[in-house]
Amino acid sequence: MTLEELNTFVTTQANVSMEAYYWWCTAFMVIIHVGFLMYEVGATRMKNAVSSGVKNLLAFAFMIPTFWLFGWYIYLAFPAGFVPIDLEGYGTPWNVSMGPMLSDQATGVFWAAFTLFACTTASIFSGAVIERIRLSAFTFLAVILGSVVWITGASWGWHPDGWLVTGFGYHDVGAAGVVHTIAGWFAFGVLLNLGPRIGKYNEDGTANEIEGHSLISSFIGLLMLIVGFFGFLGGCLIWAGSDLGGWINIYGAPATLSSFAFNTLMGLSGGMIGAFWYSKGNPFWMMSGGLAGIFICAGGLDIWYPGFAFVLGVVGGIVIIPANNWLHNTFKIDDCVGAVSVHGVAGILGVLMVGIFASGYPASGDIPPTSFVGQLVGVITMIALGFIPGYVISLLMKSIGWLRVPDSVQLAGIDSAELGLNAYADK
Amino acid sequence: MNSWPGPENSWEGVDAYFTWANSPGMLVFISLLVAVILAGIIWSAARHESEVADKNK
Repeated sequence: MTLEELNTFVTTQANVSMEAYYWWCTAFMVIIHVGFLMYEVGATRMKNAVSSGVKNLLAFAFMIPTFWLFGWYIYLAFPAGFVPIDLEGYGTPWNVSMGPMLSDQATGVFWAAFTLFACTTASIFSGAVIERIRLSAFTFLAVILGSVVWITGASWGWHPDGWLVTGFGYHDVGAAGVVHTIAGWFAFGVLLNLGPRIGKYNEDGTANEIEGHSLISSFIGLLMLIVGFFGFLGGCLIWAGSDLGGWINIYGAPATLSSFAFNTLMGLSGGMIGAFWYSKGNPFWMMSGGLAGIFICAGGLDIWYPGFAFVLGVVGGIVIIPANNWLHNTFKIDDCVGAVSVHGVAGILGVLMVGIFASGYPASGDIPPTSFVGQLVGVITMIALGFIPGYVISLLMKSIGWLRVPDSVQLAGIDSAELGLNAYADK
Repeated sequence: MNSWPGPENSWEGVDAYFTWANSPGMLVFISLLVAVILAGIIWSAARHESEVADKNK
């Protein structure tokens, strides 16, 4: 074998391996949607179980073509802010790279991974609004969140040329801000306009617990979410295969999948244990705490010491419970799965932890090092980017009667009224 | 109607290939068609929901 042949062989194998890696990350991320579906169906009363599942399927199905139409382009074109940069057509559906192309093994698998990130972001919002949002309204809002809003945040803070990165050294490798914070606060904005389910609050302002119909389904769903997030977090690293450079994070700095493995598992464990202790054994909070433990570590998954990630996880698992109670008591929202707290609050902490405990870490090229100010600017941007469109668009939809299921349909159950189906033959 | 970009029965020189959409007009048409299908189905679902709501009053 000549040196040239060897070079061709190694480069080809590196590209094929890179393709295969992101292919399987994408497949694992589909499991996130199995998890969200099972979790939300279980948290729903029996009369709305089918429509709750249909809602999850719709988010998934609509996200893929809309992300192909404009989501991927938004990510590539808007790192400078609201004015697109000239990409000479790259990222548009009619570009040669947006289809079968023998010399481009990267675009399709990266697009697929980002599409599943988008599906995940939309599904985070999904659980908060079960049992009283119109399916069509949810689908529209999911497209806005998944194929426009979060990907704009990703372009600003999860892209090596994003203005938050080049200007402030924003560091968020596992998407604590660009996915979880944005999705959580988008959901909060919608919840303010959507209102609670009938029977959630009494006239004196006290709340009632509306129990779901299958704790087992919710349990399995939450565990499936954790399985799926390994695909999600694996997809957050860049395989610089053809450059023979190994792993880099999304900002071009050296990283390892091992660091992600250490800190994801330790954060998960800490979150479960913290929530177990604070909630006095509530299994719902224990599993949600595990997720919050991952999210509070997500901004710095590439840099934490695993023991510290565990401590952060414990904090995340504890904090989300009083945060959820405060949000409900103060704003009288009905966040059926605690999404604002688990994603929105833990996401904020995930970004800020990097600024508090990991300032001064370099990225690559001219990107400034991490700093508390950079992380603070980033997290404020992510909160605003999630909340403002969520609130304003849902307010407009509410004003034209296109947001909430009428009370009569809610009382009858969406499954039988709208879909002509029941989840179980024997009620 | 075949849009094969290479020589007959050969992959010689072929790189990108958009089956059935190898002209700017078809690319734009198919992209618009996808958008119209998506928007139309959301609109159709909303109409169904409104009809159901009227029946359940």
